[in-house]
Order: sequence, then structure tokens, then C-alpha cells
Amino acid sequence: MLTKLAMTGFKNRWRDYLVLFSGLIMSSAIFYMFEALATNQEFLKQNSSISMIGIIFQFGAVLLTIITLVYISYANSFLLSMRKRDYGLFMLVGARKGKIGQLIWLETLLVGISATIVGIILGTALTAGIGKLLINTLDLTLHHFAFWHTPAAIATLLLYVGLFLLAGLFNLITLTKTPALKLLHSNEQPNRPRLKPVRQLIEIILGLILVAIGYWAMANLALLNITGIGLALVTIVLGTYFLFNAIFVWLMLFLKRLSAGQRGLNGFTLSQLSFRIRNYTKMLSIVAMLFALALGAITVGMGFHAQTPLMANGNSAYDMGVVDANATEKRQIAKLKPVKKATYHFKADKKAVYYLASEFDQQPFTITEMTSQAQLDYHQKALKSAALSKSHDLYQLMQLQTSDRQRTAPVFLSATAYAKLPQKEQQLTIFATKDLMANLDGLKDLATLRQQRDKGIAKGLLGGRYGSYKLVNGMYSGLEFMGLFLGIAFLAMLASCLMFKILSGADADQHRYVMLDKIGATQKQRRQAINKEIAVLFVLPGIVGVIHVLFGLQMFKLMMIASPYSGIWLPFLIFAGLYLLYYLITINIYHRIVLR
Amino acid sequence: MTTPIMTVSDLHKTYGKPGTKQYEALKGIDFDVQPGEFVGIMGASGSGKTTLLNMLATLDKPTSGEVTIHQQPITHLKGNQLADFRAKEIGFIFQDFNLLETMTAFENIALPLTLQNVASKKIKPAVEAVATQLGIAEFLNNYPNELSGGQKQRVAAAQALINEPAMLFGDEPTGALDSKSARELLDLFTKINQERAVSILLVTHDPFSASYCQRILFIKDGRIGQELHRGEQSRADFYQQILDNLGTFEQ
Repeated sequence: MLTKLAMTGFKNRWRDYLVLFSGLIMSSAIFYMFEALATNQEFLKQNSSISMIGIIFQFGAVLLTIITLVYISYANSFLLSMRKRDYGLFMLVGARKGKIGQLIWLETLLVGISATIVGIILGTALTAGIGKLLINTLDLTLHHFAFWHTPAAIATLLLYVGLFLLAGLFNLITLTKTPALKLLHSNEQPNRPRLKPVRQLIEIILGLILVAIGYWAMANLALLNITGIGLALVTIVLGTYFLFNAIFVWLMLFLKRLSAGQRGLNGFTLSQLSFRIRNYTKMLSIVAMLFALALGAITVGMGFHAQTPLMANGNSAYDMGVVDANATEKRQIAKLKPVKKATYHFKADKKAVYYLASEFDQQPFTITEMTSQAQLDYHQKALKSAALSKSHDLYQLMQLQTSDRQRTAPVFLSATAYAKLPQKEQQLTIFATKDLMANLDGLKDLATLRQQRDKGIAKGLLGGRYGSYKLVNGMYSGLEFMGLFLGIAFLAMLASCLMFKILSGADADQHRYVMLDKIGATQKQRRQAINKEIAVLFVLPGIVGVIHVLFGLQMFKLMMIASPYSGIWLPFLIFAGLYLLYYLITINIYHRIVLR
Repeated sequence: MTTPIMTVSDLHKTYGKPGTKQYEALKGIDFDVQPGEFVGIMGASGSGKTTLLNMLATLDKPTSGEVTIHQQPITHLKGNQLADFRAKEIGFIFQDFNLLETMTAFENIALPLTLQNVASKKIKPAVEAVATQLGIAEFLNNYPNELSGGQKQRVAAAQALINEPAMLFGDEPTGALDSKSARELLDLFTKINQERAVSILLVTHDPFSASYCQRILFIKDGRIGQELHRGEQSRADFYQQILDNLGTFEQ
């Protein structure tokens, strides 16, 4: 009978359970997504040239577990707050504590496990979808990528079931130890926002020191190695928490004193924020961390992506070379609308490839010359035969020859000496398109055509800019994929964390907004109050997250050839767009719950 | 005879959609309230007194009939007009205090003014003046949960009075108070009724609260059944009269 009663309670509040459920499903889906990469050793080994990657993922898993722990404790207190009244009522009508305990335990586990299973299914679908999307749009080559990975599913299930067992136990103790009357009237008690200057000063100093240590550790990864990452994670999380804790109260009180803080509902909004301060500081530091991780991962992923053509451009001035182009190949080259094109005649034996010096004097060969150690500082120079034969960069011409002659040195001969050679004359056509990235498809088709006559190309001996692009892309695909994939996963986690936390307070806000309505606040004023309150909760961790990322990118100076900071406006812009979208969705839902 | 501050004419309220089983909570209510009058509405549970108050205070819309306050018809107000009307013309005091627990007493009292974007320079003296009059000046920096029921209700009263409304509505304002606090609050009502010439409309089922009114309307089954005037009687005599009346009225 009591079970039936509990079920009706469930049905009556299905809307709240929906929020709880979708939050838990998202969380477990994301955990699965992460584990699908982290536990797939083959994938990690095959797709990354960085040996540390496995350990980095281990740290990531630990961090995500901690976040999940906090997340579930939020979810659980939300569940508890929904059920307190019901269970209090059951006790009042004389239900036995044992029976109620059983019910609570059952309910927590039921909610948790079903959400986890749905989450794993959703996670598999998301992994497949996002994986395919990234591979296709970014032209990535990945090995051993699997959207279903059994160890990942097991890890997710074990963690979540474990956590829900604990949560169930916690609920059991809380509910059965609390007197029935207290359960019936368990309203939120406000925290009086107080300034404790000494404590806050200590918190600020401690927070700053911790964050500084974290930033220093990230910038000096070469020195600290893997310890640096662990150190940075711990210190930055703690430091951020202290800083939020100390500054938030102070900021709210300061804003209240401004005259703008007393206009319209601003005072109300600030009071709302300081009222929930304790709940918020924990959540805000986690969100700031997730924000930094998501933005950082996306920035690094896109950095690797942007770096690929840059490196290819630095390796050769020509996209490809074709020997004795046939009619189809000529047509394909013409279709690519080359901006630079040259044709050289040559004869070849085992020792060398012989070119006519006069042809190189008429159509000089353009080389790319490195101007510093960094592979991206280079300039182009057109060289005639005499200069070219002495140049270090002569190999760039060699690479445009057929795959069997990639190591055969070119020799430039006078017309008479050339004429004396008995070998059959051939001709090499080299060309460059205006933009490598825009012509990838056409170049791929041409490479396929060439492969029919030159089998060596399949083994990666495809010279020129396109060849280097293929090579670098193969090297970076894994990193690029991990960066973007994790970025999206962290972003989703962040959004669900923030939305969930904010929406779980909506219920308690309802009566406050009803009161405001009675006092004479217009619909517009109330809407704006909600928008502002939630905007603060989005903006604060956003700012901190951006600062974390800017320092965090220091870590990638070791791995990336281009500066990790070049072109970061693009990932930042994309991220800001997504973040704004989440904000708009959140306020929309909030309006619906609170204003009806 | 002066122009009434509030007129109520032929007010009906029916719950339930046409075609389904309907329940008529108000079956035609007519009465006026004069400026500065202290009127009580009494009735048993389910008599329709709270429904009536909700209509008068713009919290709900009648099925038919009209209510005017300050010659302004209020039943068709919508959106911003309605919000402005609530902010400027009327004040409420409810049984459950209706204070925002996230704000201090000062901020709660000032809220109707800040909503109208009154300059903060003008807010402070206004809040302090009304708080002094209601005897809560020393609690202005406290949060509602740090105050007793009586103090909370006085804060709510200060909030309701800050905009100098034409009408003050009370829905069982003493319902959650002990007898001493209740008596103090009712004395306060009498005081502000006399000093500020605010018209007060009090809904209650408690004869003691009702004895503070000048006129009492008894409502039964959605209609006004009877009207009592205090006239020159002492409060104690009026209280006795109400008790007698209730005895016969409820039979």
C-alpha cells in the first residue's frame, strides 16, 4: 500500500523528476563518453604521439569522478527535498520507519540505476554521433575508435551504482533520523551574508597563492612533468573555491550599496544571490573548472587543426608533382585552377635525375626556407638552377618526383650535356593551388589517379604540400579529435551542472515571484530579475574559466609547434555562442517554472 | 455622503467551466467602503470571504460584476496597468506574512518603492518614518526569520503602507499570532486607520479581530447576509454584539 502511495507521489511530481532524471542521464552519458576514450588503450596508443596521454586521461577520469560526486550529491538533495514532505506525511499517518527506509532506498536506487542505463545508451549514441561528425568535417584519420566500449560502460555503471548506494544510505539516515514534523516544515533557512574581513582576507590570499601555484605548474610542465598536471588541478580547484567564497559575499554587499543596486528589483536579485551563496560557491568553482576544461580542450583541438595546413605550407611551395601527366590528370590539374605551375623535362638513371638548367632559369623553382627553429617561420624564394643546386631545400624538388625517386638527387645540365644522355625524356609538372584546404577533395582525386601508375604513393610517399598535409594530419588527428570531443563532453557536463543547479532552486523561487506579483512588480520586471540573477551565475564562472584557459594553454607550448594562443578568438567565439545558447534555454525554462 | 473609496456591484464568481459541474462561490455581492472606513468581512469557512477578498484585491477575476477603487474599475486591469495599480493603490497583509525571507526588513518594506524606481535618497526617510510609526525601527536590519510573528506582521504592514495606498486589505492578519501580538497589531490598524485615514478591509473569522472594525459584513453561502455597525459602542460591547450575532447568524 505504501509502495503504491510512494508511486503516486512519483507521478504527481513527474515534472520535477524529469529535471532530475535528465540531469542524471546527461551526467552518466558524458561520463561514458569520456570513459569510451579513456579506457580504450589501443585508441590512445595509436592516435597520439605523446606518451603522457594515458596519464592525462587518468587525471581527467579522477577529476570527472569528483565532479560526478558533487553532481550526484546535488541531485540527491534535490530528490530528498522533493520527498521530505511525502515521507513526513507517511510517518504522521503511522508508517513504520523500517518500511519507509526500504522505500527511500529503493527509490534512490531505482532512479539512479535507470538513469545510468539510459545515460549509457545515450552516451553511446552521442559518442557515435559526435565522433562521426568530427571525423567527417575535419577530415580526420582515426584508428581503433569505437563508440561502444564495454569497459567504459562497466566503469560508468559501477561508479554510478556505487554512488547511488551511498546516496540511498545517506537518504535513509537523514529521513529516518529526522522527526516527522521537521520533515513537514523543512524550508530553506537563509544564510545571513556577513563580512568577516579577517577570514575573507585569508581566503583571498590563500586562493591567490593556490591559483598562482597552479598557473606556475602549468607553465613549467617541462620541469615538473606529470606531477605538474596533478598539482595544477588540485591547486586551481581549491584556489578558485576560496576566491569565489571570499569575493562573492563582498561583491554582493558592494553592489547593493550602489544606487543602481537599489533600483527596481536589483536589490531583490542581489539578495537572492547572497541568500544562496553557500550552495553557489561550490557549484561556481566546479563550473569555472569545467568551463576552463571545455574551452581549453576545444581551443587545443582547433589549434592542432589550424596548425596542420600551416605546417604543410611550410614544407613545400607546390601541392603536388605529376610525371608524364596523362589526359585525365591534365584535366584534373586544370580543374584545380593552379596559381603556380611549371613543367620541367628530365632524364633519369639510378644515380640522379637530370634536368635542363635552362628550363629552371626560365621558370625558377620556388622553395620555402625556414627562417628560425620554429617550423612555421618561413619565406618563399624563387631559385634558378645555379642557386637551387646549392640550396639545402633542394629536397623539396626531390619530393615532387615519383615515389621511387624521392631520394634521387636532381642534377642540372646544359643543353648539350643533356642531349647526350641516352635515357628516355620524361616531364614533371608541378603546381600549387591558391588554398590547399579549399582544394583537398580535388587533390585527393588527383592522388588517386596518380596511384594507378605510381604504387609507392599509397605508402605515404606522396610529396609536396598535399603529401605533408596528409602526413601531419595523420599525426594530429588523434589529438584534434580528443580535444574537440572532450571539449564538447565537458561543455555538456557544465551546462547540465549549471542548469540543474539553477533549476532545482526554481521551485523555492516560485512563491517569491508570486509575492512580487502581489506587491506590484510587472511581468517585465520579474523577467528581468530572473535574467539578471541567472546571468550572474553564468558570467562569473565564465570569466574565471577564461582566465584559467589563458594560463592553461601554457601547457601546450611543449606539444604544439604554433603558439597555442594563435587564432584563439575562433574557439572562444564558438564557445561563447554555445554558452549563450545554454543561458537562453535556462532562463526560458526558469520563466516557465517560476512565472507560469 | 462622500464618494465611496470602493464600490462593489453585483459581484459573481463561478468555478468550473460551463457544461461541467459548476460551483457558485459568490452570488451577487454589493457594498461600498467610505474613505477612512475600517470594514470587516466575517463568515465561516467556505462562505466565500477569501474569494471575495481576492476579487477586491485584483488577485482573481470575477465572473461578472464590477469593483471600482478610487472610481477606477479594476476587474479588467491587465499586465503593467495591474502591476502599477497594485503598487500604488492597494496594500496587502496576509496571514502568512508574505515577506521575502532573502531580504532584510528594510529591503522588504522598501520594495514597493524600489519597484517604482524611487530615488534611494527618498526611500530611506520614507521607510524609517513608517517603521517608527509601526514601532519596528530597531529591527530594520534583521531578516524575517530573526523576527517574531508579531514583528513580521508589522513589517508586512509597513510594506503595505509605504506607498500610502487608498485601500489596505488584510486576510486573517492575526491568524498566526499569539493573542498579545494580535491585540497589538489590531491596535496598530486602528491607529493607522485614524492617523493616516487609510481605508481598511479585513477578512476574518475571529470575533475579537472583527470587534476593532466600524462595520462588519457577514457573508454566508456567497451572499452578504447581515451588516453590523459599531456606532458609538465600546469595543467590548461591540464584541458581545458580534458574538450574539454569530450565534444566531450561523444557525
